[in-house]
Amino acid sequence: MEKPKQEKKSSIFSLLASYRSLILLLILFALLSNGINLLLPKIIAHGIDSYTNGTFKIEPVLIQFSLAILLVFLFTYLQSIIQTYASEKVAKDLRSKLSDQISRQSHAYVIQANPSKLLTNLTSDVDSIKMFVSQAIVSMASSIFLIVGASILLLMINWKLALCVIAIVPIIGGAFFFVLSKVRVLFKKSREVIDWLNKVISESILGSALIRVVNAQMLEYHKFLDANGRARDLGLSILRLFAGLIPIIVFVSNLAGLCILVLGGHFVITNSMTLGEFTAFNSYLALIIFPILVIGFMSNVIAQATASYQRIESVLNAAEIKHPGTIQLDLIGAVEAKDISLSFGQKPVLKAISFSAKASSRTAIIGPTAAGKTQLLYILTGLINADSGEVLFDGKPINEYNQENFHRQVGFVFQDSIIFNMSIRENIAFSDTVTDESLAKAIETAELRDFVDALPDKLNTIVSERGSSLSGGQKQRIMLARALAVNPKILLLDDFTARVDYNTEKRILDNIQKNYPNLTLISVTQKVASVTHYEKVILLMQGEVIAEGNHEELLKTSPEYVQIYHSQQSTSNYELQS
Amino acid sequence: MNYNLNQLSTQQEKQSTYKALKRLLQLISAERKNLWLALIAILVNSGLLLLGPLLVGHTVDTYIRTKQYHGVLVFGGILLVMYFFAMLTGYTQTKLMGGVGQRMLYTLRSAIFNKLQELPVSFFNQNKAGDLISRVNNDTDKLNQFFSQSLMQFIGSIVTMIGAGIFILSIHIELGAAALVPAVVIVLFTMVLSPWVKRKNATNLKSVGGMSAEIQESLNNFKVIIAFNRRDYFRKRFDDANKENYKTAIGAGLANNIFVPVYGLLSSAAQLTVLLFGIYLISKGSFTLGLLVSYISYTTNFYNPLRQLAALWTSFQVAMASWDRISQILLLETDLKQIDQVSEISSDALMEFKDVHFSYDGTKEILHHINLRFEKGKTYALIGPTGGGKTTTASLISRLYDATKGTVLLNGKDIRTYSAEERTQKIGFILQEPFLFTGTVKDNILYGNPQYKAVTDDELKQIIAEANLNDLLAIFDEGLSTQITSGSDSISLGQKQLIAFMRAVLRNPELLILDEATANIDTITEQLLSSILNKLSKETTLVIIAHRLNTIENADEIYFVNEGEVQQAGTLKHALDMLLEGKRVS
Repeated sequence: MEKPKQEKKSSIFSLLASYRSLILLLILFALLSNGINLLLPKIIAHGIDSYTNGTFKIEPVLIQFSLAILLVFLFTYLQSIIQTYASEKVAKDLRSKLSDQISRQSHAYVIQANPSKLLTNLTSDVDSIKMFVSQAIVSMASSIFLIVGASILLLMINWKLALCVIAIVPIIGGAFFFVLSKVRVLFKKSREVIDWLNKVISESILGSALIRVVNAQMLEYHKFLDANGRARDLGLSILRLFAGLIPIIVFVSNLAGLCILVLGGHFVITNSMTLGEFTAFNSYLALIIFPILVIGFMSNVIAQATASYQRIESVLNAAEIKHPGTIQLDLIGAVEAKDISLSFGQKPVLKAISFSAKASSRTAIIGPTAAGKTQLLYILTGLINADSGEVLFDGKPINEYNQENFHRQVGFVFQDSIIFNMSIRENIAFSDTVTDESLAKAIETAELRDFVDALPDKLNTIVSERGSSLSGGQKQRIMLARALAVNPKILLLDDFTARVDYNTEKRILDNIQKNYPNLTLISVTQKVASVTHYEKVILLMQGEVIAEGNHEELLKTSPEYVQIYHSQQSTSNYELQS
Repeated sequence: MNYNLNQLSTQQEKQSTYKALKRLLQLISAERKNLWLALIAILVNSGLLLLGPLLVGHTVDTYIRTKQYHGVLVFGGILLVMYFFAMLTGYTQTKLMGGVGQRMLYTLRSAIFNKLQELPVSFFNQNKAGDLISRVNNDTDKLNQFFSQSLMQFIGSIVTMIGAGIFILSIHIELGAAALVPAVVIVLFTMVLSPWVKRKNATNLKSVGGMSAEIQESLNNFKVIIAFNRRDYFRKRFDDANKENYKTAIGAGLANNIFVPVYGLLSSAAQLTVLLFGIYLISKGSFTLGLLVSYISYTTNFYNPLRQLAALWTSFQVAMASWDRISQILLLETDLKQIDQVSEISSDALMEFKDVHFSYDGTKEILHHINLRFEKGKTYALIGPTGGGKTTTASLISRLYDATKGTVLLNGKDIRTYSAEERTQKIGFILQEPFLFTGTVKDNILYGNPQYKAVTDDELKQIIAEANLNDLLAIFDEGLSTQITSGSDSISLGQKQLIAFMRAVLRNPELLILDEATANIDTITEQLLSSILNKLSKETTLVIIAHRLNTIENADEIYFVNEGEVQQAGTLKHALDMLLEGKRVS
């Protein structure tokens, strides 16, 4: 029990190592101001004594006292500045380290680590460490200083009475330990409840349109009340413990005072102690109690900070993805998948998928909902890794390519619209390699020119988060322009045409062929009509390749393909006319 | 209407401070009895604890000095009883006040959440999710910290301080007044500085909200950052937010920390004043030395709680800044209220648009002169180029927004006269972006459906079979109990659309809007969907928005929506011609 705790503590204190000089300065100022504060009663006492002796002069008292309080003011003020600076710096550096680490991670890691948990790591966990730096260090140092100092003074005056008074330290410490060990469990629970609250809140914000469409506001409200009520009950349980703790501590310290009165009074009456010593005992008792309380509360702050630091450390220490890839070649554009399999838990998503696409060819992947099409594209771009099998680009495994170099040459249009709250220009020119020229070409190709020109600030118009100010088709075309702006050798489209009208779709695909002639295109789609002239169509069902070939071949060999074809036949007549 | 919390007009702001305070008092009013009891407990407790040193002093003076040990024991006994009562009242006061704090926090959080539920969709479009989450969580937590940790001490300190103040004034009015001069300076100093401190904290909280929004946006879209090689971009954007937060936090921290040293300085100055003025009074013969010694400690009794108040005042300022951000939400009113008056216009169609105009922001009109008519049991299609206004039209049908001009009639009555419950029961809307809650498939397809609130799995399976939805359910590995995590990639967009479809069909609306609801579903499954739609009671009116033409070939009527105008297209052939020739606005 004791040992692991020691280790934990050393780890959070080790965080401070790089701020050693700041922390030392902080403690120094804290001790200085506390030390001088201890002198003040002496100056007053001296003044009174000298008045009694008739040697009172106003100037020295005034000067000494003023000097002391000005120094205290100066030191506490400096201490508060350093405290603010140090704690914010620790927090800022920690956040930078975290974001730096996260930014190097794989997509799979971020999904598994859960973005909302990472958000907590970057905000409230860092906050509790900030609290530790700004409050705990100084308070602990000055409290220990005061307790030890006052105890020594007490022992020097009268060791019997002193032991009686110092006995309150372990009693109060024990009460604290008992209550805090119970509270800690509750704190952990209340963090879980807060996570629950967060989930309800964020889902109700992200799903706000749906909630209004089905009038489920009351339902959400009740969900929230459940979580909120639980949070209140936990809060009340924690409160009950603290409500008992503090009066007990006050009571115990009052008992110590009583002890001084009765026992000390006895000593005074029996002449084994002077009245002055008796008075000193009373004032030092007051000095001891407050630091004990502080240490108790701060031990809690330290415990919380330790827990937070452990959570942060687990993110910081997570294995980084290895980028052993060093190949910096320009891609020609041949893609090959060899025996790719993928499972989510027990559930197989892709089963031994193999296919190849020649450079500058067009390949379509067609298949029913939940066939694994999107996952296959993710594997092709290295967003997730297959459980087994290999992806080859120009005959070399994807892992051997330098990641940055690779992504610079592969464009990916995601199925779900992902629009950032930035200008349209930044949304499209999302990569740093985009030139004005390639930006313009991408905009032309995605048929966005008219749309952009109609906007008041043209390309500099800021798009709202989740792109709620844009129509579905506009979002999808911005995503396409984003992928084209990097001038890719290979373009992957995930159901791109779903939200674009046929007319626009056709023009866009023609534009792509015209403006990006050597592009290798791999397109997940639902529309047979768009892919009849593709070199290859792959039919994917339940994670397996059912059939492969061009449109004509599949019509002859694959009954499933024929069925899909017929399901679209009635209207494709119209579409083909165009 | 402007719902952007970060761009409220100054008038909206001003209104908020006053109203917010009133609302805070309203929240407390229910706790009046507890507050009175707590106040009594605080008074008794502080009184007992103030009395303690007096009795000790008395014992020392009258018994210890005269060596009467019996008296010492008697007063020791009295003190023991007093301390015991102080413990009881201390417990009562903490428990009562803490309880008040916790329940207020509960009420407050519920009130904000309830307000979020009242506000219309445009509120959510105008604010970032991360910022809203930060307001509901971080800002209420700041209030919580104040209520649960500081409020007690705050009140306790004020009571002790007032008690000590009265005490020193009653012993010697002139010396007391002199001793209190620094306190007056402290009060003035605090009053002058507080608005500045609060502003600094407000700025900091705003940047915390901004940072949380930044993280939320980047992490949720991490795959784009990877695929487009923008890890450095993520770092830079976060770095900017982090630096901004650092800057404002230092500003707020320096402002917050100014109170403690100043209060300390002035408290010590008060001691010095008492000492010097006291000696002066003694030399004039109107004061005694013994009295001066105790007077100095009484002054400490007054200034110690004041020092504590310095730290508490900071957390009070932070709490007030948080409260402002919360009350900005609480004071927003929805502009989609249910109205009473029935307009003169009437209609015999299920749904009719009469000369409807619409604008999101009050300046740029999106829809002009829309006249539409949907009759019972028929199927309508809205087609047209992207960005032409189809989704906006659908949003007006389901009253996610109100028309800027013109009337939308449901069953011949202004749609605004219906209660939300009635309206949503009649009108179903499958949104373009399907949204799922964390839970099972069952939870999601029954979401918000009052009709099947408590059905068992078996009953639900039967209901699903009757609605011909069996084949759709089969697409999910574990059927009704398949687990879903909101916002994750674990199920495909097509599957999400299937759940949204089942959810809408099971609600059995009179009018069902499908806004590209099947766009990512394969065409074979889609055929299944259309046959399900065909079997839907002949009473159901369907409004279908689609790009894929096979989805709309069975429509009774086709409307062509372009550049914010709607035309009747007549036949599918004619509609296609319009679509092919139609100029894109976007």
